[in-house]
Order: sequence, then C-alpha cells, then structure tokens
Amino acid sequence: MISVHDLSKQFNGVKALDGVTLHMEKGETFGLIGPNGAGKTTLIRILTGQIAPNRGEIYLGEERIDARDTRYRRKVGLVPQEAAFYGRLTARENLILLGLLYRMDKREIGVRADRLLAWAGLGEHAARQARHFSRGMQQRLSLAMGLIHDPELIYLDEPTSGLDPAARGSLWELIHRLSEEGKSIFMTTHNMEEADHVCDRLAILVEGKVREEGTPERIKSLLGKDRIELRLSEERNEDLEDISSKLGLNWRREGDLIVITGSDLVGKMPEIMSGLAGVVRNLHYREVTLEDAFLRFMREVKG
Amino acid sequence: MRGWKALMAKDWKLVFRNRLLLVVLIVYPFLIMGVIGAAFYDLGRPVPLGLVNLDRTGIGEIAWVGKETDSSLAVKRRFRFLAEWEHGYEDLDQARGGLEAGDVDAFLILGLEEGGREYIGARLPDNGIQEALTLLEEYPGEINHYATAQEAVASLDEGVSNVLLAVREKDYPYLAETVWLQGENSDAGALLQRYAEDVTDIRACDSVTQARQDLKEGRVDAVIVIPRGFVHRLKVLEEVADIQVILDQSSLVKAEFAETSIRGFMSRINEGVVKGKMEAVITGLYALVGGGDFFGTEITGLEQIRENLERIKEVVKADPTLQATLDEGIELADTVINDIEEAAAYLRATALPIDLRISSVAGRPLSAKDAVVPSLIALSILWTGVLCGAILMVLEDEENMRTRLELTDMGPFAMVASKLSLATMVVFAQSTAMLLMAVIVFRVFASNFLLSLLVIATASFSCIGIGLVIAAFARQVAGAVILSVLVSFPLIFMTGAVFPLSQMPAFMQWIARAIPLTYALDALSGVMLRGETLADVGWQVGALLAFGAVLLVLGSVLVRRRTA
Repeated sequence: MISVHDLSKQFNGVKALDGVTLHMEKGETFGLIGPNGAGKTTLIRILTGQIAPNRGEIYLGEERIDARDTRYRRKVGLVPQEAAFYGRLTARENLILLGLLYRMDKREIGVRADRLLAWAGLGEHAARQARHFSRGMQQRLSLAMGLIHDPELIYLDEPTSGLDPAARGSLWELIHRLSEEGKSIFMTTHNMEEADHVCDRLAILVEGKVREEGTPERIKSLLGKDRIELRLSEERNEDLEDISSKLGLNWRREGDLIVITGSDLVGKMPEIMSGLAGVVRNLHYREVTLEDAFLRFMREVKG
Repeated sequence: MRGWKALMAKDWKLVFRNRLLLVVLIVYPFLIMGVIGAAFYDLGRPVPLGLVNLDRTGIGEIAWVGKETDSSLAVKRRFRFLAEWEHGYEDLDQARGGLEAGDVDAFLILGLEEGGREYIGARLPDNGIQEALTLLEEYPGEINHYATAQEAVASLDEGVSNVLLAVREKDYPYLAETVWLQGENSDAGALLQRYAEDVTDIRACDSVTQARQDLKEGRVDAVIVIPRGFVHRLKVLEEVADIQVILDQSSLVKAEFAETSIRGFMSRINEGVVKGKMEAVITGLYALVGGGDFFGTEITGLEQIRENLERIKEVVKADPTLQATLDEGIELADTVINDIEEAAAYLRATALPIDLRISSVAGRPLSAKDAVVPSLIALSILWTGVLCGAILMVLEDEENMRTRLELTDMGPFAMVASKLSLATMVVFAQSTAMLLMAVIVFRVFASNFLLSLLVIATASFSCIGIGLVIAAFARQVAGAVILSVLVSFPLIFMTGAVFPLSQMPAFMQWIARAIPLTYALDALSGVMLRGETLADVGWQVGALLAFGAVLLVLGSVLVRRRTA
C-alpha cells in the first residue's frame, strides 16, 4: 500500500527522522511504536503532506508520490493526536463541513455523516455540540471525521492517548471494524498493549531510526517467550553467566531484580534453581510482553 | 505570609522564562514610553502653515478681482458712489486703454443677464482706491483674485464670475504711513514671516484654492489668508485688520495646535504694531507739548504756549481780569496735556490692530463632536479589525483543526479568505452602526455617507490584515488578544490621533505613513468632515487596499511557515 524509503527530516539541525525505511501492505494495520520524541508524529506529518522530508521517497503501490498531491490526499484520512473538531458545531455539522471541503456530493454528505455517526456510536448525539462530549466520544467523532471522504488509508496519531480503559476499548473496537472493512491503517502509539492488541505489524522507532519491524509476536520472540524475575540474597553474576550460556538464555539486572528471558523457562526452571541454590529469595514468572521487547530496544539504543 | 518569598522567587523565574510575560510586564512599558516619548520629544516644532497673500499688488500695477454674486447691481451702485467721475466703455480693450492711460483709476465689468457686458470706468479719490479693492468683500460669495487680465476675463467667459473689477494701485496717502511701518517692508507676507518664522514653517501658496487643497492633503496644518487692503488697514490706524485663518477642524488636535501657534505670533505682531502706533502717538504728543515736527508740520508746543501765557501774565500784572483769563488758559493747557497722556495710555492698553477670522476647511463650522466621530470609528476599526482577524485565525489552532482542514480540497487561501470575509462583515457592520448612530442620534455631520462606508470597508480590510499577521505569533485566543492589545495601543499614538503628525519627528512621520490607521483616519475625516470626494481620498483608499493585500499575504505565509 505505502512504502517509505530512506526518509530523513531535520529541524534546526536536529535529526527527527534518520533514514527511515518501512513498508505497509494494503488492508494492514501497521503500528509505529516509540518513546516520546522518537519521530512518530514527524513521520505522519510527512506522510500526510504537512511537511516535506529533507531526503527520501514515498511510494503508493509502485508509484512514487508527493504527499502534498491532491489525488493522494483524497485517498488518505487523518485522525490527529489531539481530538480535532469545532466544539461549538454539532457532531453532524462537523462531519458535513469536512464533506463540503472535500467537495463531496452534497446529497451524499448527509447520508454518509449519519452512517458514520451511527457507526461511531454517536447517532443519538448527532445534534449535540461536540464540546459537550466526553473525551471518548470526542475521539470517536474525530475518527469519524477522518473517514468522511471514505479514504483507503487512515493515519491515526496516538488515537487513544489520554482515554480511560473503557473508551480505549471502544476505539480499539472501531479500529478493528475498519480493518475488517479492508481499510489500511497506519497508527502511532506508545501504548504497547494497544500495539499488541490492534496492529498486524509493528515498527519500533527510536531516535528517528527504525530499530525493528515485524509482527508483534516476532518482536516479542526476539526476547524469547518467557521471563522470570528473581530477587537474590547475594550477588551471583558468575553463576548467572554460566546458566545463561548453558541454557541459551539472556539475563540482566533491573534495579535489585535479576531478569532472565528465553524460551521454555518453565522446563528449564530446575536447572536455574539448582545453579542459584540457596540465594533465591523471591521468583516471579510471566510471558514476555511487547513492552519488555520495547524496553530492551530502548536500553540497547542508550547503550 | 509563610512561603511568600519562595512564591515570589518562583514568579520572577516564570516571568523571565516566559517571553510573552517578559514583553508584557518588563519590555512593553519601555516600548510604550519610547513611542510616546518619540512622538512628544520634538513637540514645539514649527507648525506648517500655508500663506496666501492677496495684498501684494505693487504700486501702479492692476489688481483683478472677480465674484459670482446676485448683488451685481448693488456692486455697480456702490462703485459709482465711490467715483469722482465715471465713463462708460464699449469693450475690454477700451476700458484697459483708459486705465493704462490714467483716464480712470478703476473699471467694473458686469455680465448682463440678457447677454453682453457693461464696462464702467471711474476716477477715484485717493482714499477710494482701497475701498474699491475691497468693495466685492462686502457682498456674499467667494472672491477670486487673478494675476492677469486673460485669467480675469476667462472667469467671466466660464461663468465663474459675473462681476469683475480692475483697480490700479496707488501709494497710500495717509499721514500715519510716515510714522508706522516707516522703513518696514510693506509686504504683509514678509511681515508675517518675520514675526512667525521661529514658530511656524510658512509655505507660500498662490491661491486660496491651492492652500485649501494643501490643508486637506495634510501638507500644511492651517492656512492664513491675508486679505486685500490688509497693510492699508494697519497703516491708517482707524480699523482692525482682519486675517482669515482656515483650520482643519476635522482633526481637533491639529486645529488646536495650529490656532494656538497662529494666535501666539499674531499677538507678537499686534504688540509690534501697537508699539509702532504708540511711538507715533508719543511723537505727536511730544510735538503737541514741546513743539516741533508734528507729522510733517512745524508746530508750537503747548509748553511754549503756556510759557508765553506766563510771560504775558507778568506783563499784564495790573489787569486782574486779564490775569484770571490767562490762568484759565494755562490751566486748560495743563488739562489738555494730561488728557493726551491718559488717552495715550488707554490706546496702549486697548489697541489690537489685527484680528483673526477663523473658518473651517470644511466650509462650515465643525463642533468637537463632529471631529471626534471619525477618530472613534477609525479606532474602533483598528481595535475590532485586529482582534477579529487574530482571534478567528487562532481559533483554528485552538480547535486543532488547521491540520485536518489542510488535508481537504480547500484552496490555499480559502481559510484566510473566510476569516477576512467574516471579520470584514463584523467590523463593517459595527462601524456602520456607529456612523449611523452618530449621524441620526447625535446629529453629527457627515458630508458623504456612502464614501464614508467605502473608507470604512477598506480600513477594515487593512486592519484585519494586521490581525492575521498577529495570528502567526499566537496559538491561543488569550495570546492573540494580548498581542493585539500590545500592537494596537502604540499604533494609536503614531497616527496623528493624539498628536499632530507635523509635530512629530521626521522618523515618526515615516513610521506613521507605514500604518494603515493613519490613512483610515485621514480619509474618514476627509469624506465625513472636509467634503472630500473619491478623487481626493482615492490614493488613501488605494493605500489601505494595498496594505490589506500585503498583510493578508504576509499573514498567510507566516501562518503556513509556522504550521510547517
């Protein structure tokens, strides 16, 4: 669907993006995760034609495009990070205004607006001024506004930022439905649960560079599937090195915790415990999450 | 009170780390003081005055005066009344021939209703020359002075005048002339310039029409018209010599400054003239009392007469009756001497030979109420226009809609155009309502209502442009409001609304020319109060449109650059 190649952008000499190369398939929900300031919003602003890159190319299918081109813009929708609508217009008026600015058929706009409001669960609130909506409703309205012209590709910039769990779940449901309808979705987030739950594929962006790209499962598997956290009564670094090399595991210190990651840690538990005999005060086991993988990339970047 | 020091230290940090606060609280007061100080520091500069001297025809030259009046028969009767001898001529050439040959001192041409013209020549007594020259002033209508016979006759042909008077100037035969202004240049213009050169910047104008135009267009702050016969009136000591002063009362401050300045130097001339007159009187008194030259005649003084009487009294001691008569004569001489001295003191205290006749360039007297309305409307346009432009634009940022809108198919200037249209409608409606209220409720004068609306519309356009530029530097409505106030406030001081532009230093005058409000204020005063037409204010309307267009493009570019 859309690819970027060697995309770079600098602001006042500071690199916001540094040779980013990504590919997203049609109908895919692609997540860009990264810490604050990683360059996620910059990439979305370039892809929606708000700013021009210093270097690099953007392709829509096989065709190289200029993101400011009107034909391309009509194919894409944007849901900005902050809920964007006119607070003193009703939900329906907001949608109709955008429809008019996209030069849609006037008869079609009203029908489409009503359908979208119903789809977003705002049908009963169509005539209410948007400023009176809850944060979750506002974000759903913002999403509906991004869809008024029926785009093929939708950019969502941290869509659930600041939402409570219920509102977040409701929005995830809408994104799933969009995906099922065959829409391509490019979203940024720093919520790892969201990325894991919603996205088909992910890229981790740190300090303007793509550090890893793949499905959530693949990214998590880079750390192994399992993780145990140990609290020891004394330091046993040499024993931990021996166990790790012998069983093919990774270990690291996180504060006063020892964290071991790898595959089939449950099966390997007897050998680990015997190697650390008498010093294990506390042990906690869980599966590796996307957040674990993300934090590992962050640590690697920071050395 | 506990903790106030920590809080104060925090507040100082906040101020110094917030650029807007730093400007508002620390820098801005200095900026405002700088602006006002710069506007003020050169106050007292010479006031630019236009001088029209209608009293400068030389001895032996022919003065041509014309007028369109319904009282042409009354003029004719008066002219004939002045004449010692009169003679009718067939045509202009004959009349001019008679005047140049010295057969007559003046001739009158009357345009007749049934067509054709009547030419009457007249020989005038010496004291009739000035009366003839000022004859037309006694009748309603504007007097036109012509430099040549061709111009004068053309005015008859074109219907500008129906009465024309040609008078050959003679020297003044009055006794007073020998003492007052003796050795002075009798050119009234030079006289005024000598007394006024340090407080005014006098620019000679060829005609009242040109001077009025200069006043309307701001090249001078007032016009002084020296009427025909002015020097004559000063010299004869008999009557007050009027000077006509035309003020631009559509600008209260400018008119006030100009009038004060003119009254200042006029009082100095008055003092000078009174002093000259008093010297003449004192010379006469000395002659009356002590004998000698009494205005060209050798006389015996009262003191000599009194002495002679005393001597006679010694001789006729034997005749008490004659002595008593002589005592009465001596007492009478003392009384006359005292009376003359008292009369001189009275004259010294009361004589004011020059008076001002104030008129308005509008052609009708204007009240302070009239003059205030254009300023109020102009300031309202500035204030609402800047605020409206800035706030409407910043609202898009506050609603986070700018990015979303820019992805749509709307044109590159659609957003600016929408703000401009709405703001123009708001400002125009508000200003029009103010104007209507002023005219209908407060009976304020507005000579050209429709043209006033055009000026209001163009002024709104340019002031909104300032707001659009401000919007590029604010992201929230509160910031836009603060910036609008910060920008608008000093502009008010730099546009002639508070101080006359002519009183500001040259660089401030240049700055004023770069502010749309200057043009708005001038054009609005012009069309409302000075009776100006579209041709008069066309360039100001053009300037306002140009300012608006430039600011519009600048605002769009700055907003786009900031968004990017």
